[in-house]
Amino acid sequence: MSWKKAHIDQITEATRNWLEPEDPHLQEAISKTVSEGLFSLQDVHHQLSVLRGNVENGDIQEWVKRAELSNEQNAKARRVLCLHAGNLPLVGFQTALGVILSGADYYGKVSRKDPYLLSSFLEEIQRSDPEQKISYSRDLNSFEDLKADKVVFAGSEESVSDVKAEIKRLKAAKQGAEYIIRTAKFSIAYLDEWNADVRQDLTEAMLRYGGKGCRSVAVVVAPFGLDEVREELKQAINSYWKQNPQHQKPTSDLKYQYAYNEGIQQNQLWLNDFLIQESEELPDTDFTVNWVNGGKDTVRDLRISFGQMVQSVYTCEEVIEGIDTEPLSSAQSPPLYWKPDGVDVIKAVVG
Amino acid sequence: MITPDHIFDEHISFEQKALRVFEYQRTNNPVYKRFVNALGIKEPAFVSDIPLLPIQAFKDAKIITSEIDSPLHFQSSGTTGMERSRHYIQDPGLYQRSIIQGMQQFYDLVEYVIWAYTPGYNSNPNSSLIWMLNTLIKRDESGLSKFLELGEPLNESELREIQRSGKKLMLFGAAFGLLDMLEKYPIQLPEDSVILETGGMKTHRREITKEQLHRQLTEGFGLPESQIHSEYGMTELLSQAYAQGSLWFKSVPWMKVSIRDPKAPLKEVPLGEEGLIGVIDLANLYSCSFILTGDKGIQKEDGAFQVLGRWNPQNLRGCNFLIERD
Repeated sequence: MSWKKAHIDQITEATRNWLEPEDPHLQEAISKTVSEGLFSLQDVHHQLSVLRGNVENGDIQEWVKRAELSNEQNAKARRVLCLHAGNLPLVGFQTALGVILSGADYYGKVSRKDPYLLSSFLEEIQRSDPEQKISYSRDLNSFEDLKADKVVFAGSEESVSDVKAEIKRLKAAKQGAEYIIRTAKFSIAYLDEWNADVRQDLTEAMLRYGGKGCRSVAVVVAPFGLDEVREELKQAINSYWKQNPQHQKPTSDLKYQYAYNEGIQQNQLWLNDFLIQESEELPDTDFTVNWVNGGKDTVRDLRISFGQMVQSVYTCEEVIEGIDTEPLSSAQSPPLYWKPDGVDVIKAVVG
Repeated sequence: MITPDHIFDEHISFEQKALRVFEYQRTNNPVYKRFVNALGIKEPAFVSDIPLLPIQAFKDAKIITSEIDSPLHFQSSGTTGMERSRHYIQDPGLYQRSIIQGMQQFYDLVEYVIWAYTPGYNSNPNSSLIWMLNTLIKRDESGLSKFLELGEPLNESELREIQRSGKKLMLFGAAFGLLDMLEKYPIQLPEDSVILETGGMKTHRREITKEQLHRQLTEGFGLPESQIHSEYGMTELLSQAYAQGSLWFKSVPWMKVSIRDPKAPLKEVPLGEEGLIGVIDLANLYSCSFILTGDKGIQKEDGAFQVLGRWNPQNLRGCNFLIERD
């Protein structure tokens, strides 16, 4: 059997085992995560259910195919250091899986904000494939002198230089190592229609994980104003929260923003723990969605002005010429091979 | 009813004046009233409990306490298409008083001739800085104070005339304006001159730190660092703060600065910690005196503060990795 087939089969099997609802290791990780208040049970279950669907749909095989991974074209013997974020449960899973599928040696700095879930997956891989190099820690110092070939991390413009300096100090990456840095912060939804399905999809896209993922919708563009849909949107949000209570509460600057909007009479929908406001500004605070009255041209303009901070543009069905779009319904349940910042992790690691 | 005389009355404590101005503005300024009501603030017991209106409001709304037409408005500078702040001035005399009495807290104005290396008043009547300089220039009875021609060298015979008159030169200018002048027309100023730079450390093309600027001005004009001063002011404020030979600004008695927690702007950060600069400027009696700026700063126990540039919200949205510390 070829290396590729054996490797992919083994990783797929291990992933499937780990995702078994009764898997004791995963159960323990979920229980610790929830009891320590890191994420809500609903958000963890949502993420795991999406991943189960991905694996059952054959997304791993599809991803490997799309990335053109082969016996010849792979990342074997390459050291890849991943610095995982922890803003939502298992946010580092796709990167870790991609690096492992590529055949590279995986070294991961696991976030203290999401320490158990990803670790339980990595342990499963170690158990099922002792030859796959897996090393992870919550402490970057553990990777001193690693001299990795590539480094993958998500960073803001402000954090990149600090992180690079720290890696350099530790000699955790080779001089001249390639950095694959993710800068996307949020996504845009264009609504050309308004019905119960759209409301449900939009609510999920905005509120899942408290809106903290880069796939989360932080800007809505619609040919109708917030006022026109206010009540229906409010109802949809409240019924979403009944099923999925918001886990994290905003800091008081959110109420300050609400009060400011009241002051200048800006249209807004204030939901105590979340704010939807009419604004074309960059949505730079958590728990905030900016609503823009406009059409496809507005989406194109915003896409350009927000640049690399935009992960995805979602639509209900419409195509927006010149922009890659995804269905709004898949915002929080993407295929495994979705491309953060437009970059395929496997390809980036192999290349 | 609170009047400008109360603002400058040294017999009334800042605390008392600020609480009265708060009551006046929360009653008469519709934007501030809605803002305060939405925050659910009733009767602040202390000045530090008064909420500060984000400075962006001067771009987004008309910040006034009366519908009476304002004879004057100031507008922030900016490029075409850029949103600009507008500050409506109902009582120019109050601004004039704040300028003169404010500077007198720091300088004996009779001793100085003011030269302004800035655009002239006629070409920029809506700049609060130019208006301030015009006020200072017009006030000088010696006739030696003036706006200088931009791009022209300083006139050495006029410098000698200032010396002969027994006065000292106070040269105002924006950071890069002064540096460009030095580069083109190097000159040593009389040794008792004072440079008053008015900021502008970052343009779309260039950026410089305060330390670098002061060093270059010191070397360029041949003056000791103690004579390189800075002014902290803005379109939205009718009072200024001054730093005399250091990076620490001190404000006039009717203006107080605090450093606010950007995540909880009703709270001050502990001394020495960075945060958003909050200003209470009682001279803004007819607009809004309680302002949360977009500037980053730190403060010492004596109230002196440093301006550390613009606050960058460090967009923490999305999958950011920050080095976590134990």
